[in-house]
Amino acid sequence: MADKVSETGRTSRSLPHQEAPALMRPLRRIWSVLGLRSEEKHEEETNDKGIRLDYDLKDTLTPNRFVGLWRMATGFRTIYVMAVVAAGFAALSRSAVFYLLRYFVDDVLMGADSQWQIPWVAAGIIALALLQGFFSFGMGRLAAETAEGVTRRLRNYLYDHIQRMTFTYHDTMQTGELIQRATSDVDTLRRLFQDQLIGIGRTGLLFLVNLIALALLHGWLALLSIPLLPVVSVASFFFFRRMTTVFESYQSQDAAVSNRLQERLTGVRVVKAFARQSYEIDRFEEENWEKYLRGVRIAKLHTLFWPVVETLTGGQLLFGMFMAARMALSGDITVGTFVAFTGLLVATIWPVQGIGRLVAHVSTGLVSLNRVQEIIRQERENLEEGNTPTNKRLRGALQFRNVQFAYESPPAEEDGAAKKGEEAKLDPQEARRRAFAERGYVLRDINFDVEPGQVVGLLGATGSGKSSLVNLLPRFYEYSGGSITLDGEELRAYSRGFLRGQIGIVQQEPFLFSTTIRNNISYGLGRKVSDEELEAAARAAAIHDVVQTFPKGYETLVGERGVTLSGGQKQRVTIARTLLKDPAILLLDDATSSVDTETDAAIRAALQRLMQGRTTFIIAHRVQSVMTADQILVMEAGRIIQRGSHDELVAQPGVYRRIFELQVQIEADLEREIAAVVEAAEEKLGGLEKAQPFPQGYGSPSEPEIPHSVTRG
Amino acid sequence: MSQHEHFEEEEFETEFNGQTVLRIFRLGLLHWPLMLGYLLSVVVTSVLDGYLTLLTKRIVDDGIVAGNAEQLWRLVLQYGLGLVLVALGVMGFIYSAGRLGERVQYDLRKTMFARLQDLSLSYYDRTPVGWLMSRLTSDASRVGDLVSWGFMDLLWGGVAIAVSLGFMAMINVQMMLLVAAVIPVLIVVAFRFKKKILVEYRDVRKTNSQITGAYNENITGVRVVKSLRREEGNLEEFTDLTRTMYRAGFRAAWLSALFLPVVQLISAIAVSGIVLYSGQQFQLGGMTIGGIQAFIFYITHMLFPIQEMARIYAEMQQAIASGERIFSLVDAVPEVQDRSGAQAPDSLRGDIVFENVDFQYEEEKPVLRDFSLHVKQGETIALVGPTGAGKSTIVNLVCRFYEPSKGRILINGRDYTEWTLHGIHSRVGVVLQTPYLFSGSIWENLRYGRLDATDDEVVNAAGMAGAHSFIEALEEGYDSQVGEGGVLLSVGQTQLLSLARAILADPDIFVMDEATSSVDTLTEALVQEAMDAILADRTSFIIAHRLSTIRKADRILVIEDGRIAEQGTHAQLIRRQGHYYDLYTKQFRDERIGSAQPLLQAGNPVAA
Repeated sequence: MADKVSETGRTSRSLPHQEAPALMRPLRRIWSVLGLRSEEKHEEETNDKGIRLDYDLKDTLTPNRFVGLWRMATGFRTIYVMAVVAAGFAALSRSAVFYLLRYFVDDVLMGADSQWQIPWVAAGIIALALLQGFFSFGMGRLAAETAEGVTRRLRNYLYDHIQRMTFTYHDTMQTGELIQRATSDVDTLRRLFQDQLIGIGRTGLLFLVNLIALALLHGWLALLSIPLLPVVSVASFFFFRRMTTVFESYQSQDAAVSNRLQERLTGVRVVKAFARQSYEIDRFEEENWEKYLRGVRIAKLHTLFWPVVETLTGGQLLFGMFMAARMALSGDITVGTFVAFTGLLVATIWPVQGIGRLVAHVSTGLVSLNRVQEIIRQERENLEEGNTPTNKRLRGALQFRNVQFAYESPPAEEDGAAKKGEEAKLDPQEARRRAFAERGYVLRDINFDVEPGQVVGLLGATGSGKSSLVNLLPRFYEYSGGSITLDGEELRAYSRGFLRGQIGIVQQEPFLFSTTIRNNISYGLGRKVSDEELEAAARAAAIHDVVQTFPKGYETLVGERGVTLSGGQKQRVTIARTLLKDPAILLLDDATSSVDTETDAAIRAALQRLMQGRTTFIIAHRVQSVMTADQILVMEAGRIIQRGSHDELVAQPGVYRRIFELQVQIEADLEREIAAVVEAAEEKLGGLEKAQPFPQGYGSPSEPEIPHSVTRG
Repeated sequence: MSQHEHFEEEEFETEFNGQTVLRIFRLGLLHWPLMLGYLLSVVVTSVLDGYLTLLTKRIVDDGIVAGNAEQLWRLVLQYGLGLVLVALGVMGFIYSAGRLGERVQYDLRKTMFARLQDLSLSYYDRTPVGWLMSRLTSDASRVGDLVSWGFMDLLWGGVAIAVSLGFMAMINVQMMLLVAAVIPVLIVVAFRFKKKILVEYRDVRKTNSQITGAYNENITGVRVVKSLRREEGNLEEFTDLTRTMYRAGFRAAWLSALFLPVVQLISAIAVSGIVLYSGQQFQLGGMTIGGIQAFIFYITHMLFPIQEMARIYAEMQQAIASGERIFSLVDAVPEVQDRSGAQAPDSLRGDIVFENVDFQYEEEKPVLRDFSLHVKQGETIALVGPTGAGKSTIVNLVCRFYEPSKGRILINGRDYTEWTLHGIHSRVGVVLQTPYLFSGSIWENLRYGRLDATDDEVVNAAGMAGAHSFIEALEEGYDSQVGEGGVLLSVGQTQLLSLARAILADPDIFVMDEATSSVDTLTEALVQEAMDAILADRTSFIIAHRLSTIRKADRILVIEDGRIAEQGTHAQLIRRQGHYYDLYTKQFRDERIGSAQPLLQAGNPVAA
């Protein structure tokens, strides 16, 4: 795998290497200014196996977006410039054809040169076509290499960046939005490099070369052939800019139609239940018609634009041709020159129509660049920064002192923040988080100690701060006040990477990656895992037997392309994974709540094995899950309202005792109450029986039951 | 990710289906003035284009070479006039084709939406919403494009080639034949190329969806990634994907870059053939300078349509496949529909009788068999039993969302298929377990029950359903937005709103399928009173778990395997200590344990 990377790395980096020294200086300067990475770190990473870190895209964050694009193309600049040069040569060979034609007409057909020149002319035409083909293919190929290479690097960078960004950012950014930016916006950038930027260069060169060729044919005739062209290009620029807004409005109406459809089709039962079909047809008609109208608006805009352009360019062509014809008639130019001139004229005028479209596309491409840059701008979590004790296993002694925590709003962009406001409206989860953020502290005055190997139970309602509390330990979030010490040292002093290696998490919703079961279990170990080790972990997690039933065993794929595991099975895979990881501290986030009762016992046993000798935090909704913990924290609205062992808590008045008593009472009451109900029923029925033996048409209770009572009248 | 894959473009490997093409064509004919408009303008423009080239020939030959100034001016004037006409033609077809395309799309969406309103729920059971969505969006626009631009491009290309050949023949027949010989070669090359390129793009698309999937997994699983420190390994796997993408993308791009030069080379061969041949002809007087120039122009003129032919063909195939899918939707026959002569009922009050009813959703999997039941006007029937026993089926049949496959259902003594569907649906009030609200305000959602209800009536209904107090507590009250599907409210709140909506409709028959399952106990008690009032004089069917709801029913049916296992009043069934008794005691235990949970709800004052 590693050598494959370096191999392809080389092909795409044959040129970058030459640029590297020149590139390094400014990079280093920026890095050291931003303090993002130490100098030697940078050395190491550029010498790394290739594409992925050979350029920090943060460098593309410049106020001038074209500079940003230019920097984004680092390593490909030379070939990109070569692509433009190739475009120039392609244009040149095309223009040359017309000169050849002039020679053919003037000297071969009408002039002195003899017949035997004709095959040479024919061969010349083919040769020029070959030349032109060679260069235009070269241009396409080089541009493709640049475009694909730049986007490949960008994709890798974004992927890595996204997985290294803070939770604070992930909490506020919607998955769909992030994916959209990382895929379709990146693709827009690819097209920018592949077609549009080069297209502008190509069109410009085509125009220039043809114009020069025209000028060489006849100086002032060439000048007469272009005055209308700036008008055309400016007009087309404005047209396409206008078009973009009109098109956007069309697209938004398209989205409105889709939304309505989606909703009404999903809610079709409601529509039917209220017999609102015709009402819905009318409502849909409004949206549909509006879309039609906006579509027609686009058509009208085109209808207005193209004939105008056609007339303008046609007029220009006619004028040039007319002037040339006049001169040819008066003998100022030869017939061959006239023929070549008209050909070149068409070749000069034609590309001008397209330039506006290209410029407009470039401007939408720049919008995508902005959206991508907003992601790049976010800070990564530094996994290495801080103390990483080597060969040290944590004991897991914790002290929480006046710990406070508030979600800080991430350093969001201006308009992004405004949009988030809207999105929050639609997402209850987000709304809740924001509500917390507004309220301020999610956790406050948290004080407690944990001995190594102790089990801590956290009990509380959704949103009471249980999860936030345990999320502080792997430094997913940073506490904003107070102090947490781990084995006597401040938590912040440890590097995130070290802490996460020492902390195992089993979540309520087990998350498996769509790869093999083996990979899912050995995930995150960063080393080869022997079959014995794997099996031992799987056995301890009570999943080995299940895996054995699959034909491919541990090589079975999970997820969409493989087997579907039940919630309990998934949970046991994650337990096996955590067992293998052998963490010093364990966080069990409501790990058994989503599991059905049969597998509950198996998981419970697996969890028991997992918890042995580790400091463990158990988050739970139910008293039963935390009853055996060494200490139980009852949380409400970000505070610990009760703390102690089960016996202590039951002994004092409070929420815990009330919940516990209620549960005990339920069991006790149950039998008695049911008995009472039955008795009441007997009595009631007895009373009824006296007044009216059986309700009309009902089967007699004493008879064997009548499955279908068909009663009439 | 799954959504992404649902909407992944289907590959176009369908055969050309003449009938579908014809039917698509007819969609355009509905707006024949537009179609005629673009047909005419395309032909006129194309012919004129060819004629203009002929004019340049004459300008050279009759004007310049002949030295005839007067003729030259006349020709130039003609040329100018021709340009104006071409501009008009362009105007004509851009407008009519653009408009026609939109119009056909609009028509298709309209027809499909209307058809979807008629289709029975069984159709929706079989068909995922995502599938339907693609029919009404991407497929409709593809067919719209085919009717307008697709047919136009085809016509344009054909006419351009024919006109060019025609004018060439006017100049020199042998040379025209020489050019015509190159055309098949060009077409074959173009198709070969496009096929290759399309295959590459298919790879690109496939890899692209994998990349999207990888992003999705990495983002949704970011917590696991971070806690397992998988960043390095993930990136390594991802770079495999981007490498594949790079290769496929690069290959597709350079193949495309090769296409044009190859086509141009072939045409250059044709041009050089012209040069060779005309060199001889010229000496013999069979060819003129203008003629040579015109030939070169014609060849370039023909190049474009041929080059585009392969693309158009591929798009047409796609559009025809889209058309077939659309027509399959339009042609679907609703399984439940009005019988001829069906009447709108004045009222649906009266006894409801199931007479030996059989029903199945799928062949060979009967849900109800020989099911009979008599429900008296005003009676409240509670249906209990395990999931899948047929409770929902029974109420679905009452609502006539489905019809019995055998047997009859009588309402007030008449087979209910004698009534119109609309009549039945508007007199049966249904409240579902997973209530669906539409995005919009609470006002709008409640009024869905009765469109002409006054504000007072709406508020009244909300009050009866126990929804008024929570609505008032919302910042914007009845003007609050509920979000798509009601996501901005809790499930309990949506259930109350959907109950209020049904109350507002004031139906003759009331059906509740787990209607208040997520409403908290306190509110449930509130609602219960209102429910008593609502149910008092209406025939009602209630599927419920809540004992409080069931207990009050006039009759309880225990449904198992599509049969009535037990029936009677609450007291009767408890006494019998059968199925109902078992269900009841188990339920009772669960409910009581569950009732301890609200104690933990944040913000609630802790009170037992």
